[in-house]
Amino acid sequence: MTKWVERRRIGAEGLIVATSSALSLKEFALELRPRLRRRGGEDALGEEEFNRLALRLFALQHEAVPIYRQFCDHRKVVPDAVRHWSGIPALPAGAFRDFEVSSIPAGERTRVFHSSGTTGGAPSRHFHHADSMAVYEASLLPWFERHFFGAQSAPMTLVFLTPEEAPQSSLAQMFKTVRRHCGAPGSVFTGRLQPDGSWSLDTERTLAAAREAIGANEPIGLLGTAFSFVHLLDTLLAAGKAFALPKGSRVMETGGYKGRSREVPKAELRALLTRLLGVPDAAIVTEYGMCELSSQAYDRVAADPSRPAGILAFPPWARARIISAETGGEAEAGKTGLLRVFDLANIWSVMAVQTEDLAAGRAGGFDLLGRAADTAPRGCSLMPGP
Amino acid sequence: MSQTPSIPEDGAPLPAPATNYFLADLPPEAELTAGLITEACQTLKRNRRRYLEERSTESLLRLLDGLGREWQSEDFPFRKMALETGPAATGFSAPVLASGLDTFFKQLTAANLEALLCQELGHARRLDDFFAGADESDPRRTALARGPELLAHVAPGNLPVPVLMEMVLGLLARSAQFVKCASRAAFLPRLFAHSLYDADHKVGACLEIAQWKGGEHALESALFAEADCVVATGSDETLAAVRHRVPAGARFLGHGTRVSFGYVTRAALERSPRETARRAAADVSAWDQQGCLSPHVIYIEEGGGPSGEAFASMLADELEAREKTHPRGALGAEEAAGIARRRAFYEVRAAHSPDTRMWASPASTAWTVILENDPVFQSSCLNRFIYVKTVAGVTQALQGAELAREKVSTVGLSATEAQAPDLARQFARWGAKRICPLGQMQNPPPGWRHDGRPPLGDLLTWCDWEK
Repeated sequence: MTKWVERRRIGAEGLIVATSSALSLKEFALELRPRLRRRGGEDALGEEEFNRLALRLFALQHEAVPIYRQFCDHRKVVPDAVRHWSGIPALPAGAFRDFEVSSIPAGERTRVFHSSGTTGGAPSRHFHHADSMAVYEASLLPWFERHFFGAQSAPMTLVFLTPEEAPQSSLAQMFKTVRRHCGAPGSVFTGRLQPDGSWSLDTERTLAAAREAIGANEPIGLLGTAFSFVHLLDTLLAAGKAFALPKGSRVMETGGYKGRSREVPKAELRALLTRLLGVPDAAIVTEYGMCELSSQAYDRVAADPSRPAGILAFPPWARARIISAETGGEAEAGKTGLLRVFDLANIWSVMAVQTEDLAAGRAGGFDLLGRAADTAPRGCSLMPGP
Repeated sequence: MSQTPSIPEDGAPLPAPATNYFLADLPPEAELTAGLITEACQTLKRNRRRYLEERSTESLLRLLDGLGREWQSEDFPFRKMALETGPAATGFSAPVLASGLDTFFKQLTAANLEALLCQELGHARRLDDFFAGADESDPRRTALARGPELLAHVAPGNLPVPVLMEMVLGLLARSAQFVKCASRAAFLPRLFAHSLYDADHKVGACLEIAQWKGGEHALESALFAEADCVVATGSDETLAAVRHRVPAGARFLGHGTRVSFGYVTRAALERSPRETARRAAADVSAWDQQGCLSPHVIYIEEGGGPSGEAFASMLADELEAREKTHPRGALGAEEAAGIARRRAFYEVRAAHSPDTRMWASPASTAWTVILENDPVFQSSCLNRFIYVKTVAGVTQALQGAELAREKVSTVGLSATEAQAPDLARQFARWGAKRICPLGQMQNPPPGWRHDGRPPLGDLLTWCDWEK
């Protein structure tokens, strides 16, 4: 299979444009920042203001991100003709694999987040610099705090089931930010980065932190990927052990399994977390994030049983729509479609991203149902698709 | 429920057409057991001895020829049922079903079956008695062929017609047959079996249809223990799993998943571009591209005459026209998302470089044409998603398809009469199993050598008589 070779078409003129819009993107960030600070409050950013900001950002990104401009040109969409944010062309998430979806010149990029691919193909890449990282952190914290802490307040001893140093992981970066802002001094990372890039879990260290919390009768928060929790729970099951974490303890789990542990349906995972760690179901929060975005969705406010589990919602500065895969238009209410996200915090790349995740709209958010498979139907898969 | 059909003696009045005769007719809540399968197999073998083993080839050809004609008639009750209930049961639209069934049953003629027998046996009546083959000069040496006593089919889930063809071959071999269908894929095999039973109760009594999800070891072991030949069609994993469990004494024939492609020469395209595109569209649309004989890629020779782009655009027009007369079946959200995902991928590529172009049905996933200036074979996500790839010539196309070489079944060829023989030789030596005109890819004759093997011959065992 020949690897697609990217041929960038950016001349001297394009570079000048990029420089001028870089300034404007920074101005946009300055304007957005105060709106990211409100903790909670879905009305922090009303429809009208969201629309105004989204259209402005679209125009800037259209100018500053070459592959996005090509994509819009191909669709014959120009910013002046778009009146509502829902009409902004959503760049397929797959474009982050094949192209550099960024307005940040190569020499100014200081970080890159990679997706954890499921098929061994090239990962998605999202480039950052100091300004974009600052927005990333400003976006993630208020929404995280609102859902993870609920009525309780930071700091809390937090146990992250991920490596502390995994520079290409947006999740690891998010957890470092969370620890810095919300973690009590005893907070630890119990994941390990293996030489091959995969993650493992130090279950002993994780359980030791749990024991300490029980000894001190202080609530703790456990945060990690679903697969790392499965490893932890499998260890407990094998040893025939169960813990009762102190009242007020919380769990945040995120992401799929990607073949790294046995697959456990989410409901079963939650039930096991309750049974083996003593964390009530209402204190288990699910997060949805991807390296291509700068904001995350959560399914509930911890310890607030009024919200059912499983309905994910983005912060007011990011909006989701469910797109019918068949028609390309908005899916009928409650019908399965592809998740499309408009994330104002994605300033230096592309705000409108068409994901490959299947979801269904629900009151107050969406339900995540899996990924758009690229296997040829009915077992006819011969070679990996694009 | 009784699986011992009562066959009236000759001349006795026949009962009304049965609708609950086969295991597959049982309500979904009824549970199949290994004991039930064993009992069904033993009944089938008993019925075969009584009603089928000594049936003449001539009477079987008459039966099949008549059935083939009936299935093409619009008021044939089984056809009506297939077209009325079929779309919900199979996922294909009624016009696609009608067209696919007509294509198959038009070929099911006494003459075609006679030709198949001659091809496979060297003499069309060697399943009836000892005969010398047409080219065998020694009159003192004759041979008779017999089929398996019980032939077990592990049928594929994608298309119904290959299952029907396997049933016809088993019938010609005078075998009792147990057809195990993939879950939710029994509808048409069932109707065909009912039509056979209706036409000839005795022949129908030697046939059983059941469905369960592959991998039910207890049921499959019971079936394989009674069979002396197992024909399985499916993915490589399915075949490996089945082969492993077939008892040593039984013959195993596996048909793995295959892919196909089209090849259009410059001269053929120049001669009749629109017609070539129309034929390609017919191949892409037939059975919604689900079969092993459906093309994933159409290779187009470039340089002079209509360009690949012109062809791809015409193909898009033809697929759109085809969608109006023969709509693609409705897809579930996941399959549609698979198509949407691929389209998104190529849309970004096309926006970036003129080497890729995409034509797609508006506001639906009904059809997609991807034009790429890159000869590497790309397997399609099917459901009328076709790649058009431009090449300098056949060498480049075959290099591009190298990774798929062992999996290639059919090459749909559009070439001038002068070009075709040389191209056919090149495709054959490279490894293609079948070459046919573009537009006929899903229309193999009964004598077609599936996977390059003798279709009937592989089932049979010979007895030579040296007088």
